[in-house]
Amino acid sequence: MATLQELKNELKKLGAEYAKIKDLPADQRADFGKQLNIKKQQLNAEIAAAEAAAEQEDVAPLDISAPCDINGQMPEFLTADFGSKHPLMTELDRVIAIYQSMGFDIAESVQLDDEYHMFDSLNFAKGHPARDGYDTFRTEEGFIPPAHTSTMQNRVLKANAYKLAEGKAIAVAVPGRVYRNEDVDATHEHTFYQCEGVYVSEDCTLGNMLAILREFFEKYYGQKLNIKTQPGYFPFTEPSLEFLIEKPKSLGGKGDGWLEMLGCGMIHPNVLKNAGIDPTKYQGFAWGGGIDRLIMLRYQLNDIRYLESAKLDFLKEFAC
Amino acid sequence: MLISLNWLKSGLETNGISDEELVKLIGARLVEVEGVIDQTHKYDKIYAVQVISEEPIEGTHLHLCKIDDGGAASDVERDENGYVQVMCGAPNVHKDMLAAWVAPGAIVPSTYNTDEPFKIGMRKMLGKYDSYGMMGGADELDFGDDHSGIVELDPSWAKPGQPIAEVFRNLDDKILDIENKSLTHRPDTFGILGFRREVAGILGQKHISPDWYLEPEQNFKNDDKVKLEIETDPELCPRYTAIVFEPIAENVNPYLDYDATLLARAGMRPINPIVDATNIMMLAFGQPLHAFDYDKFVKVGGSKTPKIIVRAAKEGETLELLDGTTVELNTDDIVITSNDVPVALAGAMGGASTAIDEKTKRVILESATFSLYNLRKTQMAHGIFSEAITRFTKGQPAGQTKAVALRFAKKAGKYLKPLALFDTQTSEPKPLKIELSLSQINSLLGTDFSGDTVKYILENVEFKVKVEGDELAVIVPFWRTDIHIPEDIIEEVGRLSGFDNIAPVLPLHATADPNPLFALKTQIRNHLSARGANEVLTYSFVHGDLMAKVGQKPENSYKIINSISPELQHIRQSIVPSLLDKSYGNLRAGHEKFALYEMNQVYPKNLGVDNDKVPVGSHQLGFVFIDQAGQSNYYIAKKYLASLLESFGIKFELATFEANAVNTYYEPKRSAAVKVGDQTIGFIGEIQGKVLRGFKLPRGVAAFELNLADLLIDEQSVGARDYRVSNYPSVSRDLTITVAPEVEYASIESKIRAVLDGFIYKLRPTSIYQAEGVSTKNLSFHLEFAAPDKTLTKAEISDIMDKLESIK
Repeated sequence: MATLQELKNELKKLGAEYAKIKDLPADQRADFGKQLNIKKQQLNAEIAAAEAAAEQEDVAPLDISAPCDINGQMPEFLTADFGSKHPLMTELDRVIAIYQSMGFDIAESVQLDDEYHMFDSLNFAKGHPARDGYDTFRTEEGFIPPAHTSTMQNRVLKANAYKLAEGKAIAVAVPGRVYRNEDVDATHEHTFYQCEGVYVSEDCTLGNMLAILREFFEKYYGQKLNIKTQPGYFPFTEPSLEFLIEKPKSLGGKGDGWLEMLGCGMIHPNVLKNAGIDPTKYQGFAWGGGIDRLIMLRYQLNDIRYLESAKLDFLKEFAC
Repeated sequence: MLISLNWLKSGLETNGISDEELVKLIGARLVEVEGVIDQTHKYDKIYAVQVISEEPIEGTHLHLCKIDDGGAASDVERDENGYVQVMCGAPNVHKDMLAAWVAPGAIVPSTYNTDEPFKIGMRKMLGKYDSYGMMGGADELDFGDDHSGIVELDPSWAKPGQPIAEVFRNLDDKILDIENKSLTHRPDTFGILGFRREVAGILGQKHISPDWYLEPEQNFKNDDKVKLEIETDPELCPRYTAIVFEPIAENVNPYLDYDATLLARAGMRPINPIVDATNIMMLAFGQPLHAFDYDKFVKVGGSKTPKIIVRAAKEGETLELLDGTTVELNTDDIVITSNDVPVALAGAMGGASTAIDEKTKRVILESATFSLYNLRKTQMAHGIFSEAITRFTKGQPAGQTKAVALRFAKKAGKYLKPLALFDTQTSEPKPLKIELSLSQINSLLGTDFSGDTVKYILENVEFKVKVEGDELAVIVPFWRTDIHIPEDIIEEVGRLSGFDNIAPVLPLHATADPNPLFALKTQIRNHLSARGANEVLTYSFVHGDLMAKVGQKPENSYKIINSISPELQHIRQSIVPSLLDKSYGNLRAGHEKFALYEMNQVYPKNLGVDNDKVPVGSHQLGFVFIDQAGQSNYYIAKKYLASLLESFGIKFELATFEANAVNTYYEPKRSAAVKVGDQTIGFIGEIQGKVLRGFKLPRGVAAFELNLADLLIDEQSVGARDYRVSNYPSVSRDLTITVAPEVEYASIESKIRAVLDGFIYKLRPTSIYQAEGVSTKNLSFHLEFAAPDKTLTKAEISDIMDKLESIK
């Protein structure tokens, strides 16, 4: 087998061949060029393989069990001063802690799902234009990186249905990463985080839902808040609402502005049915809202793209 | 969707309620109002004027005009007759015409609400003529694109000096910018009639739709000589109504009319009276209409009399549209055909071959409804986003096609005479009846409505309600295609009465147990960040090149078929490559030494699918340590790994590296498998030189990755660390053991531990040293040990040290 140096020399010679193309009759040039390209590709592949082999030989094994290199210094942790937790994760932890204190179990949403969980189980009619509103990504196999944490509703309801039989309520919050096929700019990301809430019992009401949501945001912002709603449309809730809070004082609110926080509604009977829960005996409500927005507001971030940038200049601002 | 507030309010009782309050109520109970465009003063100081005289100025296109503004304007110079002088460049200016004059001090309407509003004044023109204000063209007045001349006003409507806001009744308007998305299921609200009905309901007023809408009656007899056949597939086209017209006047209106101002306020442009009438019908009733040239239609189809066939397009068929583009049709498209020859892309756009033109005589008017599913696909496939298809894709009710077609006949009566009406539906279907109980309503909403209240709320928007005790029977009007089940009715009751009027009541609840996985992640976060590492988040999608760089096979990655860019085409198989990818930028930004980590899900294909046939993912922690200096970072990465696992009390071992489909980037000779018992829970190691070069990273970068679910299980095997402290004095000694270079450190450490077993001790390695030219290495330790139950004697200590020093 040729040595690495020989291969490299050959490649060099081949390079010189290219200069001959222009001296050839026009009808032969293409073919000649093609042949050269094929040879060149072969050589490059051989060189890469030879390099990899050479490197492999060069690499000295290390003692995986040792605390340090021979004659090396004992390793030290980095200074704690600049270590940081991701602000989105810190916030998500807060959100989770509040929901837990309110009696909600926590389940994490999946990051790759199917049409059934994303749409069918949620009462989206087959081929319904409402599906388009979610700008979903799809894989070759037809799987979907979910566009909303509602993709977990069917699973959460099924997994907790036994509680209803025990006379208890289903109360679960589902944070997770979701994806939408949209162009990224300062206020839009194709990857972001949501938190879903699901509550089912024999007699829970829309009034209960409004109270729970208000309680959550009052705990989150540490103050009393005014709330209001707007009609919404989601195939998986009926009625469907958008939930707004009065801009909290901590965000500079002076009782003059409203913030759209999430979409919510009473769970559609078909969604309960699809999870094996009898909608004539039980009723429930569900909601889902973005986490990124909470962070943007809290830290007054001007550009959502920082969150997934892994830029230390940004992250070190959140040093513990 | 843009809605004229004045048009909306006509027919409503809105005295005593401010526009602001009204908009707020609409927002709270119907749909999000994205904005209100205030045009209240847009047409201030613009008057109807009569052109008294008009003299062309030689060598220019200008005319020197005297106009009679009825004395309306101030700040102008008038001649002895009280007329005002204004220059006009429009070719159509003529004596005695009524024009719209933008008086000095007025804002030119087309610049109103823009960043640079243009206020007109007096200009000296050609160096000698004072010209006050201007006579406006349709474009300047913001009633269209027409720039060919100035607008002419109908003398039977307007008189000199009358403000044009008054001529056209209500130009002092506010335009509501409606967020369509939350009305996806409400086709009825895409016309003023339906939107107004909702507002009436919200205001607690009874809305009554006009009789002609509820029970359309044909007020002309079909001319027997006029023949038309219609064939439809009811799945694709539930109803097709057509009227054949003949012209009775030229399709031209010399005057600016009220319809043009309504169209302009909805963001549309006037074209000609017949087209304008179809568009007004659409804005008013949400029903798009289309007009075909009868003669062209017949000719294209080659039939004697028109034969309309509505069907799915065939693969390979093409159609030239009105706008001149030719589209390749697919089988999801619906086409209107003339005797099977496509002449229009249903719901989207008419075809060029049957377009109305100035020679058009007879007209076929189409008033139909189509499958919204198909039209949605048509919209996406051909990128057509017209006002018409926006409405059709909401699923316009079949119940109104005939009524609106007849209404059009009335509206266009000046220009067209209806000859015959044809309809695929000959009888009205029975309306939907929904039965539910009052207690069902109140228990879902948390309210206490009486039967009478519910009846009142629903009947205001034209449901018919029968109350018998707790039982309700609700008849649904035909335009409410969104109502199917009792919950839909409950929503109407809650929404129209105001969800915000429902008292929030907190249900009783206990606290819940923490989720172990989240609790674990929080602990990891606290641990690593307190040791200077930085948590990051990176995309779940990666470039094929990134996988190639780290040696992962693209076949092991789910591929996104509609990705935004090649950079986001594959679902990642592990986290470490993403971290490597983000490291170079941070080095460049001046961070010389850092540790990045991320906890997230990964979905390599080799994990397979679960019982639901959904891909299985894995919660993973990825960690990299980068040092610009380029030395090996294996041992620092190991220190992080060990301290993390020890903090959970997990006993782990580092064993020979095990290559798999995903961990292709580790240098096998300088990497290890992380094991708990027999189970591999992760990997640690240096990244291969070739991989690092691909990322432009310095040598020696080390990484580890752990499967978080495995840490959860192993959290139970607590006991890796000995927290005991002896009550007896402990002995402090340094120990150096000399061995051959290839002897594994761990074998020595475990021998030391074996000697110290039974004692309470601390062991800390202090150095590994190999002098130049010497064939052995020295392993040095600092030890502290004590017996749990007594003070060690000198002899005992010396015995222990002898044992330790004899370790090989």
